[in-house]
Amino acid sequence: MTPRYTELQLDALRELANIASGNAATALSQMLGREVGLTVPRVLALPLVDAVDACGSPDESITGVVIPLEGDIDGLVLLLISTEGADALCRLLGVEAGSDIGDSALREIGNILGTSCLNALASMTGLNLCPCPPHLSTDMLGAIVSSLALTQTESADLVLVLDSELDVADEPCSISFVLLPSDGGVSDLLTPLGLAA
Amino acid sequence: MGSVRMGEIVVSKRAGDELVARGLGSCIGLALVDRSAGVAGLAHIVLPESSETDRQPGKFADLAVPELIDRVCRAGASRRRLEAALAGGARMFELGELDIGARNADAVRKGLATSGLAVHAAETGGSRGRTMRVSVGDGTITVKEAGGELTILLDGSAGGAHLPRASATLEGAHR
Repeated sequence: MTPRYTELQLDALRELANIASGNAATALSQMLGREVGLTVPRVLALPLVDAVDACGSPDESITGVVIPLEGDIDGLVLLLISTEGADALCRLLGVEAGSDIGDSALREIGNILGTSCLNALASMTGLNLCPCPPHLSTDMLGAIVSSLALTQTESADLVLVLDSELDVADEPCSISFVLLPSDGGVSDLLTPLGLAA
Repeated sequence: MGSVRMGEIVVSKRAGDELVARGLGSCIGLALVDRSAGVAGLAHIVLPESSETDRQPGKFADLAVPELIDRVCRAGASRRRLEAALAGGARMFELGELDIGARNADAVRKGLATSGLAVHAAETGGSRGRTMRVSVGDGTITVKEAGGELTILLDGSAGGAHLPRASATLEGAHR
């Protein structure tokens, strides 16, 4: 049973992602004291293998911060931060990159961005959502994304990825902000908008 | 270079080719080589069991193991000379879900045992991502973690018998 999405549904999801990532960008900007630019979100409904490729090179070393979602929507928020980006963020926060404190700071960024995203989704859909404590892994991008996506889908057949780039002004820091709803999570998002299949 | 993406199987007998499965998280890279014949195959396995609706052979352990064996043999490998190595099956995050990596590793091992093949070497479990490479021609199989050292699972340049050695390798066969 492979869900297929209409243009109308994809547009609605793009709008959700836009607002959610916009909130996250504002929160990050306040935390860092810097301007944070935002790209228009991509909404990709792809087989898992292509969804992973769309996030970047599979053996590229990257820091992934995962904020699992709980409540009315099943899924997770994933931040993908390059090595350079992690260094820049830690520097802006006055902590040493790669240290326990550095990892803690990145988890905290995950927390704040995840929460602001959730608040946006909750207010748009009227659903109850709560973030769980963030997890962090610095490892190969393919391993991180594929493993996470597989926890959200039974079949790994068609995966929905909602992805924006947050760019910190004047820093080599571009964060991929990925919303990965579970198989059921997608209709959880679409139903309150009157767009469920 | 033969990149083997999730759910794919690539087989080659062209010396100098390299088969690579990058960024193995909970996925399993299964390599089969016949060093004598110079044939090698690599499967990038995603889930333990296929379903009625999805039967892509490289994706599911229950289909990938027999499919990979079949394809390397059709390319000229001899079944009794096949050496198998596994990598991957990690648990990258403790998300309270089932450990898909461990289930994948178990399913692949069971599939190999059912087919009468021993596991020559394996690097599975843990919480780190891995990249697996197979050198077609000499049949060398290696694994590397991000920022880690290269581990040789099968040294193709090592001489000696092409049958699996009895010591420490027949993990799947005694059942």
